[in-house]
Amino acid sequence: MKLGAYALALALVSGAVQAQAPETLAWLRKMQDAAQKLSYSGTFVYQNGSRSETSRITRFVEAGGDIEKLEVMDGVPREIVRTKDTVRCYLPGARLVKVDRRTERGFPALLPERISAVAKNYDISLGETRRIAGYDCQAVVLTPKDNLRYGYRLYADSASGMLLRAVTFDANGEQIEQFMFTQLAIGGVTRDMVRPRHASRSWRVEDAEASPARLAGWGLSSELPGFHKVIELKRRLSDSRPASQMVYSDGLAAVSVFIESLEGRPEPVRPGLASMGAIHMYTREVANHVVTVVGEAPAASVQRIANAVEYRRPQ
Amino acid sequence: MKDRISALMDGELDDRSASELIGNLAHGSENAGAWREYHLIRDAMRGTAPLSEGFSARVAWKLAEEATVLAPQRTRSRPASDSPRWFTLSAVAASFAAVALVGWLAFAPQQPAPAPVLAKVQPAVEAKPAMVPMPSSANDYLLAHQGFSPRVSLQGMAPYVLTVAEHPAEARK
Repeated sequence: MKLGAYALALALVSGAVQAQAPETLAWLRKMQDAAQKLSYSGTFVYQNGSRSETSRITRFVEAGGDIEKLEVMDGVPREIVRTKDTVRCYLPGARLVKVDRRTERGFPALLPERISAVAKNYDISLGETRRIAGYDCQAVVLTPKDNLRYGYRLYADSASGMLLRAVTFDANGEQIEQFMFTQLAIGGVTRDMVRPRHASRSWRVEDAEASPARLAGWGLSSELPGFHKVIELKRRLSDSRPASQMVYSDGLAAVSVFIESLEGRPEPVRPGLASMGAIHMYTREVANHVVTVVGEAPAASVQRIANAVEYRRPQ
Repeated sequence: MKDRISALMDGELDDRSASELIGNLAHGSENAGAWREYHLIRDAMRGTAPLSEGFSARVAWKLAEEATVLAPQRTRSRPASDSPRWFTLSAVAASFAAVALVGWLAFAPQQPAPAPVLAKVQPAVEAKPAMVPMPSSANDYLLAHQGFSPRVSLQGMAPYVLTVAEHPAEARK
Protein backbone atom coordinates (compact mmCIF):
# COMPACT_ATOMS: atom_id res chain seq x y z
CA MET A 1 0.00 0.00 0.00
CA LYS A 2 2.76 2.34 1.01
CA LEU A 3 4.59 1.43 -2.16
CA GLY A 4 1.50 2.25 -4.18
CA ALA A 5 1.23 5.67 -2.57
CA TYR A 6 4.89 6.24 -3.26
CA ALA A 7 4.49 5.23 -6.89
CA LEU A 8 1.51 7.56 -7.22
CA ALA A 9 3.46 10.45 -5.73
CA LEU A 10 6.35 9.72 -8.04
CA ALA A 11 4.01 9.65 -11.00
CA LEU A 12 2.54 12.99 -10.06
CA VAL A 13 5.96 14.52 -9.56
CA SER A 14 7.78 13.16 -12.55
CA GLY A 15 5.05 13.24 -15.16
CA ALA A 16 3.38 10.69 -17.33
CA VAL A 17 6.44 9.24 -19.02
CA GLN A 18 8.15 8.17 -15.84
CA ALA A 19 4.87 6.90 -14.44
CA GLN A 20 5.25 3.69 -16.45
CA ALA A 21 6.72 1.08 -14.15
CA PRO A 22 10.28 0.22 -15.18
CA GLU A 23 9.22 -3.41 -15.11
CA THR A 24 6.73 -2.96 -17.96
CA LEU A 25 9.19 -0.98 -20.08
CA ALA A 26 11.72 -3.74 -19.48
CA TRP A 27 9.19 -6.18 -20.94
CA LEU A 28 8.98 -4.15 -24.14
CA ARG A 29 12.78 -4.23 -24.42
CA LYS A 30 12.83 -7.93 -23.72
CA MET A 31 10.33 -8.55 -26.52
CA GLN A 32 12.31 -6.43 -28.92
CA ASP A 33 15.56 -8.22 -28.02
CA ALA A 34 13.89 -11.56 -28.59
CA ALA A 35 12.55 -10.39 -31.96
CA GLN A 36 16.09 -9.44 -32.97
CA LYS A 37 18.23 -12.16 -31.46
CA LEU A 38 16.28 -15.41 -31.62
CA SER A 39 16.22 -17.94 -34.42
CA TYR A 40 12.84 -19.62 -34.59
CA SER A 41 10.31 -21.28 -36.83
CA GLY A 42 6.61 -21.52 -36.28
CA THR A 43 3.09 -21.28 -37.60
CA PHE A 44 0.87 -18.32 -36.86
CA VAL A 45 -2.67 -17.30 -37.62
CA TYR A 46 -3.68 -13.79 -38.59
CA GLN A 47 -7.30 -13.11 -37.84
CA ASN A 48 -9.63 -10.16 -38.32
CA GLY A 49 -13.35 -10.59 -38.00
CA SER A 50 -14.35 -13.82 -39.69
CA ARG A 51 -11.24 -13.85 -41.85
CA SER A 52 -8.19 -15.84 -40.86
CA GLU A 53 -5.03 -16.82 -42.65
CA THR A 54 -2.30 -19.25 -41.62
CA SER A 55 1.35 -18.51 -42.33
CA ARG A 56 4.71 -19.99 -41.53
CA ILE A 57 7.50 -17.80 -40.28
CA THR A 58 11.17 -18.77 -40.06
CA ARG A 59 13.95 -16.60 -38.73
CA PHE A 60 17.66 -17.32 -39.05
CA VAL A 61 20.17 -15.23 -37.13
CA GLU A 62 23.88 -15.14 -37.82
CA ALA A 63 26.69 -12.66 -37.25
CA GLY A 64 26.29 -11.07 -40.68
CA GLY A 65 22.66 -10.20 -40.06
CA ASP A 66 19.44 -12.10 -40.03
CA ILE A 67 17.05 -13.48 -42.61
CA GLU A 68 13.37 -13.92 -42.02
CA LYS A 69 10.95 -15.75 -44.26
CA LEU A 70 7.16 -15.68 -44.20
CA GLU A 71 5.12 -18.11 -46.27
CA VAL A 72 1.36 -17.82 -46.62
CA MET A 73 -0.11 -21.32 -46.26
CA ASP A 74 -3.66 -20.56 -47.45
CA GLY A 75 -4.51 -19.76 -51.05
CA VAL A 76 -1.77 -18.92 -53.54
CA PRO A 77 1.62 -19.75 -51.90
CA ARG A 78 3.08 -16.28 -51.50
CA GLU A 79 6.44 -15.73 -49.82
CA ILE A 80 8.20 -12.76 -48.30
CA VAL A 81 11.89 -12.80 -47.42
CA ARG A 82 13.44 -10.03 -45.39
CA THR A 83 17.18 -9.52 -45.01
CA LYS A 84 18.92 -6.76 -43.07
CA ASP A 85 17.90 -4.04 -45.51
CA THR A 86 15.63 -5.58 -48.15
CA VAL A 87 12.17 -7.11 -48.34
CA ARG A 88 11.30 -9.30 -51.33
CA CYS A 89 7.74 -10.47 -52.00
CA TYR A 90 7.51 -13.51 -54.26
CA LEU A 91 4.11 -13.68 -55.97
CA PRO A 92 3.84 -16.90 -58.00
CA GLY A 93 0.40 -15.97 -59.39
CA ALA A 94 1.87 -12.98 -61.23
CA ARG A 95 5.42 -14.45 -61.54
CA LEU A 96 6.55 -11.26 -59.90
CA VAL A 97 9.10 -10.26 -57.26
CA LYS A 98 8.46 -6.96 -55.48
CA VAL A 99 11.58 -5.48 -53.92
CA ASP A 100 11.62 -2.85 -51.20
CA ARG A 101 15.05 -1.71 -49.99
CA ARG A 102 16.10 0.38 -47.05
CA THR A 103 18.78 2.75 -48.16
CA GLU A 104 19.22 4.96 -45.15
CA ARG A 105 18.94 2.67 -42.18
CA GLY A 106 17.59 -0.69 -41.21
CA PHE A 107 14.11 -1.44 -40.00
CA PRO A 108 12.80 0.59 -37.10
CA ALA A 109 13.69 -0.52 -33.64
CA LEU A 110 12.05 0.58 -30.42
CA LEU A 111 15.02 2.67 -29.35
CA PRO A 112 14.94 4.19 -25.87
CA GLU A 113 13.65 7.51 -27.21
CA ARG A 114 10.91 5.65 -29.03
CA ILE A 115 9.96 3.79 -25.90
CA SER A 116 9.46 7.14 -24.21
CA ALA A 117 7.28 8.21 -27.16
CA VAL A 118 5.27 5.02 -26.67
CA ALA A 119 4.95 5.77 -22.95
CA LYS A 120 3.66 9.28 -23.76
CA ASN A 121 0.83 7.93 -25.90
CA TYR A 122 -0.01 4.66 -24.16
CA ASP A 123 -0.40 3.41 -20.60
CA ILE A 124 1.73 0.32 -20.34
CA SER A 125 0.81 -2.31 -17.78
CA LEU A 126 1.27 -5.99 -17.12
CA GLY A 127 -1.76 -8.16 -17.79
CA GLU A 128 -2.66 -11.79 -17.30
CA THR A 129 -0.37 -14.77 -17.71
CA ARG A 130 -1.51 -17.40 -20.17
CA ARG A 131 -0.19 -20.50 -21.90
CA ILE A 132 0.05 -20.10 -25.68
CA ALA A 133 1.36 -22.80 -28.05
CA GLY A 134 3.05 -24.48 -25.10
CA TYR A 135 4.77 -21.35 -23.74
CA ASP A 136 3.93 -19.61 -20.48
CA CYS A 137 3.30 -16.05 -21.55
CA GLN A 138 3.04 -12.70 -19.82
CA ALA A 139 0.65 -10.13 -21.29
CA VAL A 140 1.82 -6.53 -21.64
CA VAL A 141 -1.07 -4.18 -22.30
CA LEU A 142 -0.62 -0.88 -24.14
CA THR A 143 -3.77 1.13 -23.57
CA PRO A 144 -3.99 4.30 -25.67
CA LYS A 145 -4.39 7.56 -23.76
CA ASP A 146 -6.80 8.90 -26.39
CA ASN A 147 -8.96 7.49 -29.19
CA LEU A 148 -6.52 8.43 -31.96
CA ARG A 149 -4.76 5.06 -31.76
CA TYR A 150 -5.47 1.42 -31.09
CA GLY A 151 -4.50 -0.54 -28.00
CA TYR A 152 -2.37 -3.68 -28.00
CA ARG A 153 -2.25 -6.76 -25.80
CA LEU A 154 1.09 -8.46 -26.35
CA TYR A 155 1.73 -11.94 -24.96
CA ALA A 156 5.42 -12.80 -24.65
CA ASP A 157 7.13 -15.99 -23.52
CA SER A 158 8.12 -15.36 -19.90
CA ALA A 159 11.47 -17.07 -20.41
CA SER A 160 12.69 -15.72 -23.77
CA GLY A 161 10.52 -12.65 -24.38
CA MET A 162 9.41 -14.05 -27.74
CA LEU A 163 6.05 -12.56 -28.80
CA LEU A 164 3.48 -15.36 -29.17
CA ARG A 165 0.30 -13.37 -29.58
CA ALA A 166 -0.54 -9.75 -30.40
CA VAL A 167 -4.11 -8.49 -30.13
CA THR A 168 -5.14 -5.05 -31.43
CA PHE A 169 -8.19 -3.53 -29.74
CA ASP A 170 -10.21 -0.35 -30.24
CA ALA A 171 -11.48 2.31 -27.84
CA ASN A 172 -14.34 0.02 -26.72
CA GLY A 173 -11.93 -2.80 -25.96
CA GLU A 174 -13.24 -4.74 -28.99
CA GLN A 175 -10.68 -6.92 -30.74
CA ILE A 176 -9.81 -5.59 -34.21
CA GLU A 177 -7.28 -8.20 -35.28
CA GLN A 178 -4.77 -10.62 -33.86
CA PHE A 179 -1.64 -12.53 -34.70
CA MET A 180 -1.11 -15.74 -32.77
CA PHE A 181 1.43 -18.53 -32.98
CA THR A 182 -0.18 -21.95 -32.90
CA GLN A 183 3.20 -23.69 -32.98
CA LEU A 184 6.68 -22.34 -32.33
CA ALA A 185 10.16 -23.84 -32.01
CA ILE A 186 12.94 -21.57 -30.81
CA GLY A 187 16.35 -22.41 -32.31
CA GLY A 188 17.23 -25.21 -34.72
CA VAL A 189 17.00 -23.05 -37.86
CA THR A 190 19.43 -23.46 -40.76
CA ARG A 191 20.16 -21.06 -43.58
CA ASP A 192 18.49 -23.34 -46.09
CA MET A 193 15.19 -22.94 -44.30
CA VAL A 194 15.01 -19.23 -45.10
CA ARG A 195 15.81 -19.43 -48.81
CA PRO A 196 12.95 -18.37 -51.07
CA ARG A 197 11.27 -21.38 -52.59
CA HIS A 198 10.08 -19.55 -55.67
CA ALA A 199 13.22 -17.64 -56.67
CA SER A 200 13.35 -17.78 -60.43
CA ARG A 201 15.26 -15.68 -62.91
CA SER A 202 12.38 -15.54 -65.33
CA TRP A 203 10.15 -13.62 -62.92
CA ARG A 204 9.59 -9.93 -63.36
CA VAL A 205 11.22 -7.73 -60.72
CA GLU A 206 9.59 -4.54 -59.47
CA ASP A 207 12.02 -2.47 -57.45
CA ALA A 208 10.49 0.35 -55.40
CA GLU A 209 13.78 2.28 -55.60
CA ALA A 210 12.89 4.01 -52.37
CA SER A 211 15.21 6.79 -51.27
CA PRO A 212 14.88 9.55 -48.71
CA ALA A 213 13.94 12.89 -50.25
CA ARG A 214 12.62 16.29 -49.30
CA LEU A 215 9.12 16.73 -50.66
CA ALA A 216 8.84 20.37 -51.64
CA GLY A 217 5.46 21.89 -50.93
CA TRP A 218 3.73 18.89 -49.34
CA GLY A 219 2.90 18.64 -45.69
CA LEU A 220 0.15 18.53 -43.09
CA SER A 221 -1.72 21.67 -42.09
CA SER A 222 -1.75 20.19 -38.59
CA GLU A 223 -0.21 17.01 -37.22
CA LEU A 224 -2.27 14.45 -35.36
CA PRO A 225 -1.52 14.62 -31.60
CA GLY A 226 1.27 12.21 -30.70
CA PHE A 227 2.19 11.48 -34.33
CA HIS A 228 5.42 12.96 -35.65
CA LYS A 229 7.04 12.80 -39.05
CA VAL A 230 9.62 10.02 -39.22
CA ILE A 231 10.78 10.20 -42.83
CA GLU A 232 9.99 11.55 -46.31
CA LEU A 233 10.92 9.59 -49.40
CA LYS A 234 10.41 9.01 -53.08
CA ARG A 235 9.61 5.56 -54.41
CA ARG A 236 7.90 3.64 -57.14
CA LEU A 237 4.68 1.70 -56.82
CA SER A 238 3.44 -0.99 -59.20
CA ASP A 239 3.95 -0.28 -62.92
CA SER A 240 6.84 2.02 -61.92
CA ARG A 241 4.41 4.76 -60.88
CA PRO A 242 6.43 7.41 -59.06
CA ALA A 243 5.11 8.31 -55.61
CA SER A 244 6.12 10.37 -52.63
CA GLN A 245 5.72 9.03 -49.12
CA MET A 246 5.67 10.74 -45.74
CA VAL A 247 5.58 8.58 -42.60
CA TYR A 248 4.17 9.67 -39.24
CA SER A 249 4.47 7.59 -36.08
CA ASP A 250 3.49 7.76 -32.42
CA GLY A 251 6.28 5.39 -31.43
CA LEU A 252 4.24 2.24 -31.99
CA ALA A 253 1.70 2.79 -34.76
CA ALA A 254 2.60 4.41 -38.07
CA VAL A 255 0.64 6.16 -40.80
CA SER A 256 2.03 6.71 -44.30
CA VAL A 257 0.88 9.41 -46.71
CA PHE A 258 1.36 8.53 -50.40
CA ILE A 259 1.17 11.24 -53.03
CA GLU A 260 0.90 10.43 -56.74
CA SER A 261 0.23 12.62 -59.75
CA LEU A 262 -3.21 12.23 -61.33
CA GLU A 263 -1.67 12.41 -64.80
CA GLY A 264 -1.51 9.17 -66.71
CA ARG A 265 -3.44 7.33 -64.04
CA PRO A 266 -4.99 4.21 -65.57
CA GLU A 267 -8.13 4.17 -63.45
CA PRO A 268 -10.31 6.86 -61.87
CA VAL A 269 -9.68 7.78 -58.25
CA ARG A 270 -12.25 6.38 -55.83
CA PRO A 271 -12.23 8.73 -52.89
CA GLY A 272 -13.21 7.21 -49.57
CA LEU A 273 -12.21 4.86 -46.82
CA ALA A 274 -11.19 1.19 -47.08
CA SER A 275 -10.26 -1.05 -44.20
CA MET A 276 -8.67 -4.41 -43.44
CA GLY A 277 -8.31 -5.33 -39.79
CA ALA A 278 -6.44 -2.52 -38.05
CA ILE A 279 -5.30 -1.03 -41.36
CA HIS A 280 -7.26 1.87 -42.81
CA MET A 281 -6.72 3.51 -46.18
CA TYR A 282 -8.22 6.86 -47.04
CA THR A 283 -8.06 8.28 -50.57
CA ARG A 284 -8.73 11.83 -51.70
CA GLU A 285 -7.59 14.30 -54.34
CA VAL A 286 -5.40 17.26 -53.43
CA ALA A 287 -3.95 19.76 -55.90
CA ASN A 288 -4.20 17.48 -58.94
CA HIS A 289 -2.69 14.58 -57.03
CA VAL A 290 -4.19 11.52 -55.43
CA VAL A 291 -3.38 11.24 -51.76
CA THR A 292 -3.64 7.82 -50.11
CA VAL A 293 -3.17 7.60 -46.36
CA VAL A 294 -2.42 4.15 -44.97
CA GLY A 295 -1.88 3.08 -41.40
CA GLU A 296 -2.66 0.81 -38.46
CA ALA A 297 -4.79 3.46 -36.77
CA PRO A 298 -8.52 4.09 -36.29
CA ALA A 299 -10.42 5.33 -39.35
CA ALA A 300 -10.88 8.80 -37.87
CA SER A 301 -7.12 9.21 -37.33
CA VAL A 302 -6.27 8.15 -40.87
CA GLN A 303 -9.01 10.43 -42.19
CA ARG A 304 -7.81 13.37 -40.11
CA ILE A 305 -4.28 13.02 -41.44
CA ALA A 306 -5.63 12.70 -44.99
CA ASN A 307 -7.75 15.82 -44.63
CA ALA A 308 -4.75 17.75 -43.28
CA VAL A 309 -2.59 16.98 -46.33
CA GLU A 310 -1.94 20.19 -48.25
CA TYR A 311 0.23 21.51 -51.02
CA ARG A 312 1.80 24.96 -50.79
CA ARG A 313 3.70 26.14 -53.80
CA PRO A 314 7.31 26.42 -52.67
CA GLN A 315 8.42 30.07 -52.54
CA MET B 1 -36.52 19.10 -62.43
CA LYS B 2 -35.53 16.09 -60.33
CA ASP B 3 -32.32 15.86 -62.33
CA ARG B 4 -31.57 19.44 -61.42
CA ILE B 5 -32.20 18.78 -57.72
CA SER B 6 -29.87 15.82 -57.90
CA ALA B 7 -27.27 17.99 -59.67
CA LEU B 8 -27.66 20.63 -56.98
CA MET B 9 -27.04 18.02 -54.28
CA ASP B 10 -23.93 17.05 -56.20
CA GLY B 11 -22.83 20.67 -56.31
CA GLU B 12 -22.78 20.47 -60.09
CA LEU B 13 -24.98 23.45 -60.91
CA ASP B 14 -23.43 26.80 -61.72
CA ASP B 15 -24.05 29.66 -59.32
CA ARG B 16 -26.98 31.14 -61.24
CA SER B 17 -28.89 27.88 -61.75
CA ALA B 18 -28.20 26.94 -58.15
CA SER B 19 -29.60 30.27 -56.87
CA GLU B 20 -32.69 29.91 -59.06
CA LEU B 21 -33.34 26.37 -57.93
CA ILE B 22 -32.70 27.16 -54.29
CA GLY B 23 -35.10 30.09 -54.63
CA ASN B 24 -37.67 27.79 -56.14
CA LEU B 25 -37.21 25.22 -53.38
CA ALA B 26 -37.29 27.88 -50.70
CA HIS B 27 -40.64 29.18 -51.89
CA GLY B 28 -42.24 25.94 -50.90
CA SER B 29 -42.62 24.42 -54.33
CA GLU B 30 -43.61 20.77 -54.54
CA ASN B 31 -39.97 20.05 -55.33
CA ALA B 32 -38.99 20.87 -51.79
CA GLY B 33 -40.50 17.48 -50.94
CA ALA B 34 -38.24 15.79 -53.49
CA TRP B 35 -35.24 17.63 -52.03
CA ARG B 36 -36.02 16.31 -48.53
CA GLU B 37 -36.79 12.83 -49.80
CA TYR B 38 -33.51 12.58 -51.72
CA HIS B 39 -31.56 13.45 -48.62
CA LEU B 40 -33.54 11.00 -46.55
CA ILE B 41 -32.95 8.17 -49.06
CA ARG B 42 -29.26 8.89 -49.24
CA ASP B 43 -28.90 9.05 -45.47
CA ALA B 44 -30.75 5.75 -45.15
CA MET B 45 -28.48 4.09 -47.68
CA ARG B 46 -25.40 5.42 -45.96
CA GLY B 47 -26.70 4.51 -42.53
CA THR B 48 -26.42 8.11 -41.31
CA ALA B 49 -28.38 8.60 -38.11
CA PRO B 50 -31.38 10.90 -38.55
CA LEU B 51 -30.99 14.41 -37.16
CA SER B 52 -32.66 15.32 -33.92
CA GLU B 53 -35.95 17.18 -34.00
CA GLY B 54 -35.69 20.89 -34.65
CA PHE B 55 -32.18 20.55 -36.04
CA SER B 56 -32.86 22.75 -39.08
CA ALA B 57 -34.35 25.45 -36.91
CA ARG B 58 -31.33 25.39 -34.62
CA VAL B 59 -28.90 25.55 -37.54
CA ALA B 60 -30.88 28.45 -39.03
CA TRP B 61 -30.74 30.24 -35.71
CA LYS B 62 -27.00 29.66 -35.35
CA LEU B 63 -26.43 30.90 -38.89
CA ALA B 64 -28.47 33.99 -38.23
CA GLU B 65 -26.20 34.62 -35.23
CA GLU B 66 -23.02 34.50 -37.32
CA ALA B 67 -23.37 36.40 -40.57
CA THR B 68 -21.74 33.78 -42.80
CA VAL B 69 -22.90 33.02 -46.32
CA LEU B 70 -22.45 29.53 -47.61
CA ALA B 71 -22.81 28.05 -51.06
CA PRO B 72 -22.58 24.49 -52.36
CA GLN B 73 -19.06 23.32 -52.95
CA ARG B 74 -18.56 22.44 -56.59
CA THR B 75 -17.22 18.95 -57.02
CA ARG B 76 -15.73 17.48 -60.16
CA SER B 77 -18.16 15.40 -62.09
CA ARG B 78 -17.47 11.71 -61.81
CA PRO B 79 -17.68 8.99 -64.46
CA ALA B 80 -21.13 7.69 -65.20
CA SER B 81 -20.06 4.20 -64.13
CA ASP B 82 -20.60 5.19 -60.52
CA SER B 83 -23.87 4.39 -58.77
CA PRO B 84 -26.68 7.00 -58.93
CA ARG B 85 -24.65 10.11 -58.93
CA TRP B 86 -25.95 11.85 -55.87
CA PHE B 87 -24.90 8.86 -53.78
CA THR B 88 -21.28 9.69 -54.55
CA LEU B 89 -21.63 13.16 -53.14
CA SER B 90 -19.20 13.58 -50.30
CA ALA B 91 -20.72 14.13 -46.91
CA VAL B 92 -18.97 17.49 -46.67
CA ALA B 93 -20.47 18.69 -49.94
CA ALA B 94 -23.83 17.42 -48.74
CA SER B 95 -23.63 19.40 -45.56
CA PHE B 96 -22.58 22.46 -47.56
CA ALA B 97 -25.59 22.08 -49.78
CA ALA B 98 -27.97 21.46 -46.90
CA VAL B 99 -26.59 24.32 -44.85
CA ALA B 100 -26.68 26.57 -47.91
CA LEU B 101 -30.41 26.01 -48.28
CA VAL B 102 -31.12 26.51 -44.61
CA GLY B 103 -28.84 29.55 -44.65
CA TRP B 104 -30.65 31.00 -47.62
CA LEU B 105 -33.98 30.49 -45.90
CA ALA B 106 -32.65 32.29 -42.88
CA PHE B 107 -31.47 35.27 -44.88
CA ALA B 108 -34.16 35.46 -47.48
CA PRO B 109 -36.47 37.86 -45.66
CA GLN B 110 -33.74 40.38 -44.85
CA GLN B 111 -31.86 40.82 -48.08
CA PRO B 112 -31.86 40.04 -51.82
CA ALA B 113 -30.06 36.90 -52.93
CA PRO B 114 -26.43 37.56 -52.04
CA ALA B 115 -23.57 36.66 -54.32
CA PRO B 116 -22.58 33.16 -53.16
CA VAL B 117 -19.33 33.12 -51.27
CA LEU B 118 -17.63 29.85 -50.53
CA ALA B 119 -16.91 29.90 -46.86
CA LYS B 120 -14.17 27.63 -45.59
CA VAL B 121 -15.56 25.43 -42.88
CA GLN B 122 -13.39 23.14 -40.81
CA PRO B 123 -15.75 20.51 -39.46
CA ALA B 124 -15.08 19.80 -35.79
CA VAL B 125 -15.95 16.16 -36.31
CA GLU B 126 -14.78 14.45 -39.49
CA ALA B 127 -17.56 13.79 -41.93
CA LYS B 128 -18.44 10.13 -42.28
CA PRO B 129 -16.51 8.94 -45.32
CA ALA B 130 -17.75 6.84 -48.19
CA MET B 131 -16.66 3.22 -47.81
CA VAL B 132 -14.76 1.95 -50.86
CA PRO B 133 -13.03 -1.36 -51.65
CA MET B 134 -9.28 -1.61 -51.09
CA PRO B 135 -7.49 0.28 -53.89
CA SER B 136 -5.87 -1.97 -56.49
CA SER B 137 -2.42 -0.88 -55.28
CA ALA B 138 -3.28 -1.62 -51.64
CA ASN B 139 -0.53 -4.22 -51.31
CA ASP B 140 2.07 -1.84 -52.72
CA TYR B 141 1.09 0.81 -50.21
CA LEU B 142 1.24 -1.73 -47.40
CA LEU B 143 4.62 -3.06 -48.44
CA ALA B 144 5.97 0.49 -48.60
CA HIS B 145 4.35 1.36 -45.28
CA GLN B 146 5.12 -1.72 -43.21
CA GLY B 147 8.88 -1.15 -43.29
CA PHE B 148 8.42 2.00 -41.21
CA SER B 149 6.00 0.61 -38.68
CA PRO B 150 7.68 0.24 -35.28
CA ARG B 151 5.44 -2.69 -34.43
CA VAL B 152 7.59 -4.80 -36.77
CA SER B 153 10.40 -4.45 -34.24
CA LEU B 154 8.28 -6.30 -31.68
CA GLN B 155 6.36 -8.63 -33.94
CA GLY B 156 8.97 -9.52 -36.50
CA MET B 157 7.55 -9.63 -39.98
CA ALA B 158 4.18 -11.18 -39.12
CA PRO B 159 2.31 -7.95 -40.07
CA TYR B 160 3.83 -8.27 -43.55
CA VAL B 161 1.29 -11.00 -44.19
CA LEU B 162 -1.10 -8.16 -45.10
CA THR B 163 1.19 -6.92 -47.88
CA VAL B 164 0.48 -10.02 -49.93
CA ALA B 165 -3.17 -10.36 -48.95
CA GLU B 166 -5.66 -11.34 -51.62
CA HIS B 167 -8.35 -8.69 -51.54
CA PRO B 168 -11.90 -9.79 -52.33
CA ALA B 169 -12.30 -6.71 -54.54
CA GLU B 170 -9.39 -7.84 -56.69
CA ALA B 171 -10.58 -11.42 -56.86
CA ARG B 172 -13.86 -10.25 -58.40
CA LYS B 173 -12.12 -8.54 -61.30
